[in-house]
Amino acid sequence: MTTFNRIGLTALLMGASLLALGACNNATMKTSVAEAPSEVKATVYPETAYFGDTHVHTGWSADAGQDGAVTSPEDAFRLASGEEVTSNTGQKVKLNRPMDWMVITDHSDAMGTINEIRAGNPEMISDPFLNRMYEGLKSGDPQVMRPLLGELVDRQSNGNLPRQMMDPKWAISAWKKTIEIADRYNKPGRFTALIGFEWTVNAGGGDNLHRNIIFRDDATRAGQVLPLTTFQTMDPEKLWAYMAAYEAKTGGRMLAIPHNGNLSNGRMFEETRFDGAPMTPEYAAGRQKWERLYEVTQMKGQSESHPLMSPADEFADWDRWDRGNLNGAPKKPDSVRTEYWREALKSGLRLEGNLGANPFKYGANGGTDTHTGLSTFEEDNFWGKLKSVEPRKGRWEPVIVGRAGATGYRGWEQAAAGATGVWAIANTREAIWDAMQRRETFATTGTRLTIRFFGGYDFNAADAGARLVKAGYAKGVPMGADLKAPPTGKAPTFLIAAMKDPAGANLDRAQVIKGWVDAAGVAHEKIFDVAWSGGRKPGPDGKIPAVGNTVDLKTAKYTNTIGAPELSTVWKDPEFDARQRAVYYVRVLEIPTPRWTNYDEIKYGYQMPAYVTRIHQERGFTSPIWYSPV
Amino acid sequence: MLRRLLRDPLVHFLGLGALLFGIYALVGPSRPAGDRIVITQASIADMTRQQATLDGRPVTKDELAALIENRVREEVFYREGLKMGLDRNDLVIERRVRQKYELIAEEDDAAEPSESDLEAYLRSHPERFRQPPIVAFTQIVIPADATGKTSPESLALLRKRLEAGADPLSIGQATQLPLRVDGMPLDLVARAFGGPFAESLLAIPVGSWQGPVASSYGAHFVRLDRRTLKPTPQLQDMRSEVQREWENARRERTRAERFARLRKQYRIVVETPAG
Repeated sequence: MTTFNRIGLTALLMGASLLALGACNNATMKTSVAEAPSEVKATVYPETAYFGDTHVHTGWSADAGQDGAVTSPEDAFRLASGEEVTSNTGQKVKLNRPMDWMVITDHSDAMGTINEIRAGNPEMISDPFLNRMYEGLKSGDPQVMRPLLGELVDRQSNGNLPRQMMDPKWAISAWKKTIEIADRYNKPGRFTALIGFEWTVNAGGGDNLHRNIIFRDDATRAGQVLPLTTFQTMDPEKLWAYMAAYEAKTGGRMLAIPHNGNLSNGRMFEETRFDGAPMTPEYAAGRQKWERLYEVTQMKGQSESHPLMSPADEFADWDRWDRGNLNGAPKKPDSVRTEYWREALKSGLRLEGNLGANPFKYGANGGTDTHTGLSTFEEDNFWGKLKSVEPRKGRWEPVIVGRAGATGYRGWEQAAAGATGVWAIANTREAIWDAMQRRETFATTGTRLTIRFFGGYDFNAADAGARLVKAGYAKGVPMGADLKAPPTGKAPTFLIAAMKDPAGANLDRAQVIKGWVDAAGVAHEKIFDVAWSGGRKPGPDGKIPAVGNTVDLKTAKYTNTIGAPELSTVWKDPEFDARQRAVYYVRVLEIPTPRWTNYDEIKYGYQMPAYVTRIHQERGFTSPIWYSPV
Repeated sequence: MLRRLLRDPLVHFLGLGALLFGIYALVGPSRPAGDRIVITQASIADMTRQQATLDGRPVTKDELAALIENRVREEVFYREGLKMGLDRNDLVIERRVRQKYELIAEEDDAAEPSESDLEAYLRSHPERFRQPPIVAFTQIVIPADATGKTSPESLALLRKRLEAGADPLSIGQATQLPLRVDGMPLDLVARAFGGPFAESLLAIPVGSWQGPVASSYGAHFVRLDRRTLKPTPQLQDMRSEVQREWENARRERTRAERFARLRKQYRIVVETPAG
């Protein structure tokens, strides 16, 4: 969530304070439409990568509503599942391709008056109408409640509400409605609608430490709690306690995904607890237990890598938003060191050495963080982060995050990103959630390329053939897992395969990014080109030369005459040292393609200034595989 | 400069406002003591429960007192702010209130549709509920000759071997695409293989090796093993989906009607834009 200004934050906190009074069981809500018994067949191994978005705000999020967004969770699910909907600016919008699943992560305000009526608050039920509502609520009978609600709306539109109800605390529980809508749109095997919310911590004036919380469960379980608010706490350890309490109370499951940390001004991966005290083993274990994935790409740029920490990586500098935090407070030069995933994976190895547990054991996640209810990550069909930058001529220009001036981020800097590919055995809530929990995921900048990544000690070239998946699971572990202990003298081998997006660009190359900690406790990284297109030979610097470029800026078109539709290989770590902690993940790059800014130029027939980025290489990142000495 | 300022109507307006405010402060009614703020048992119970959940232990007496005092402080400032009209002319608050209004108003739509409502909706929107055909097929990617193209002669040869029952895997080029797809709706085939490939499966005959069929991964030989067209859907097969669509249509309709009705209750004056 973006906080646009101080007033927005204040309003949000006001909402949150009311939320604390919210009802937990709301008999006035419609019962969910029961799904037909699921006939979805699960595969033996995760055979399919299901694509979706874990980070969607609709008009029901306070700040999105303040920007003028009017879309509801219903609209958001309809768009994602392939329907045409009306955008916040009244335009018709439809995805080129539907998603397989989506999570709505609004802040849901649920307010107290209904609770007061139910509790028989004398001030409330002194009114005859409210007394009838009280009796109706007590009966729990929807047949009794429905006419009362009808009467309520009538009274309201005629200005005839009881005085007690004019109290601005009154509101229907948005949370209840959100989760019931998710149940209605969840269609096992075809479209999975997951229940979630965002816990929106803007510590110390805009340091973005948000977490998206995702439920495995349906409204019956999720309805037994209210979303945790930052009014209650800003401390992640309290968040984990809230999650544990939910699981204990309902038998359900929850996991958390921290928002990309690039606007946290150094706080996302600071090596202390929230209050500044030193990390403890319990803290490290708790963070790893509850926070399974990390958002490495979204509309507000990437948090995967930064050129300052990765000067030798010619692909580290992309979608960079590193001038300040959400409110435009400028960064200290060193802040970026504790904001990016790759560096955190390396630091995590070092901290594991000290604490016995790795606090930063994060798999890869991508989400849009749209505030329009319109989750779009297609370059040629990009609806922007905010209502004010929905498609129109000139939307490249306004400052959309931070302050006007040098630290503010402008429209053109938005990325049409990101998405998560999930290797699951079926497209159901349970299977998708379980795969996230196993970290069997990869993040992309919105393209639907797929990446396989297995680690073991016995992979050989034949395993990269037609039986790759079976070999991968039988002889090794998938992305997100830990390598087993090495047989004496053996180095790990990795089975790696990538496939282009069926409607997208060819692939340039696949790389393994390795991080490790040496005997002195110093972290290092190295990038290995492991598979590439077109028989290119490494240059004098050992790197594979650039793939070339077919983009025609005058038409926003490219051709798949360069690159490869598929890449696969078995790679053995040539520098393995069994005594050193290490972490490996795969990055796959597409050939250069037009960015949404170039599509906009062609669509609206004008030119943006020369400094606007128009061409990029879309990419994907797998969750890591970790190695720890026994 | 001063002279111009003194003639400015805005300055007159502000000056007058300040004057009135001052007079009101001097002679206005004094605040009736006894505006009640009630922190109810229900809200105390709720605060206590939530805090206990977060802390993982019971709330102490002092902590509860602090929670309650905080509620009181918020309520006092909130009420004072309302008295000063701070909720007016504030776009943030206005939009929030509008959202809440619309949320409540939607509860108006709680009535369940009847069986005949749903039947009628299904009949009048057949295209929306039509199910895609289910296909089962086997495919390989045709290996390219050294030239990068596959000659007509080698295509014919490959097809012959496939029809003679050769193992398709021994002929096809290595690919991560599945060799066999066993009963999948056509739209999901499009997600995995691309739209044009899926569409080709509607055109080719069932039961024999066909090709080349193009996808963005290359040229394929495809043997379509089964293609089942789904019959016109019946309500009992997709009741929850029809009901959802029916309710969504009603939601959109009543939202528009409600606004039209409410708007009529106002006399709307739009002044001519200045200058």
